[in-house]
Amino acid sequence: MVMEKVHRMSNKGGAAHTRKPRITVFHCFTALEDTASLEGGDYEIQGIKMPCSSISREVFLLRAFEAGADAVVVLVCPVNSCRYVQGNIRTEKRVTRVKKILDEIGIGGHRLNMFNIVQGDEAAARRIIEQTVAELGEWGLSAAA
Amino acid sequence: MIVGEQKPLEEIKAKVSGYSRILILGCGTCVKTCFAGGEDEVATLASALRLSFKLEGRTIQIEEQTVERQCEDEFIKEAATNIAEVKAVVSLACGAGVQMVASRFPQVTLLPGVNTTFIGILEKAGLFTEKCLGCGNCIVDLFGGICPIGRCAKRLFHGPCGGSSKGKCEVNPDTDCAWQLIVDHAAATGQLDKLAEYVPPKDWRTSQAGGPRKVHREDHEI
Repeated sequence: MVMEKVHRMSNKGGAAHTRKPRITVFHCFTALEDTASLEGGDYEIQGIKMPCSSISREVFLLRAFEAGADAVVVLVCPVNSCRYVQGNIRTEKRVTRVKKILDEIGIGGHRLNMFNIVQGDEAAARRIIEQTVAELGEWGLSAAA
Repeated sequence: MIVGEQKPLEEIKAKVSGYSRILILGCGTCVKTCFAGGEDEVATLASALRLSFKLEGRTIQIEEQTVERQCEDEFIKEAATNIAEVKAVVSLACGAGVQMVASRFPQVTLLPGVNTTFIGILEKAGLFTEKCLGCGNCIVDLFGGICPIGRCAKRLFHGPCGGSSKGKCEVNPDTDCAWQLIVDHAAATGQLDKLAEYVPPKDWRTSQAGGPRKVHREDHEI
């Protein structure tokens, strides 16, 4: 159902899309061990596992869109809970900067979002992915994917 | 270091839009340190341009390379192979590096991607501030190590203008008044009497006012 809605939105511009929406998830392995529990039938998940979310440089986030992501989710530890003290703060600043670049390009900064999750809270991570998939129903697939 | 800022993406995109294949050439020294033109900025700009053109249904081939310093022939010659393959190069170096590349490779169109801003320091993480105008005759010893040329909006040599307020410059309230800093330093170190000494008018011929300058070191000439 969600996929149908995504495709309806994406088809507004012309060419038909028959693929599932793709979401790239950058996550530090403290916040989330892996993305296996996030995989579902209506969308594709590409997990990028890192020792700290602050490793996600601007270009990595942009290249996720170049590689075909319709949305990018960055999962980081809660404020003041980063193993490397400021990693999640640095990530937030980079995400903010890349959102501006995406707005300027025309892809839209709303397709990139960062969330703080408590270590190992897979249910929260799943809710974030479901929310993103639902939002993709409104936005449609990325024209740059 | 020389501090610069990358030009807006829209401006760079407009410059490269007429080309099907370009090289974005970064510089690994000053502009890398100030996050304007190092390896990361080259990669980010290239990705942003590719995505932007893709949305318009266009494909532009973008090569990426960063050399240690674009202001030295020894380093930019490493870019010769990549430059030979393109019609245009976006240089993310300072104005010196851009011109060095333009001079070395006259067959390509050189497009500056960075606005060279000033000679300054990294004051704290993410903040670069101007300290020097490169006047060619340093006299900061007379002012407690604080340059009234580079740091005073009015370049005053003989005391504060009277327009500062609470230690801040009236031209830019975000900036410390250089003369407040000079007087505070002199007072703290017991050297207020030094400020009463006569400082002769500056000879500006050593500055850019005397035209482009050269430093010639025969002992290093081969």
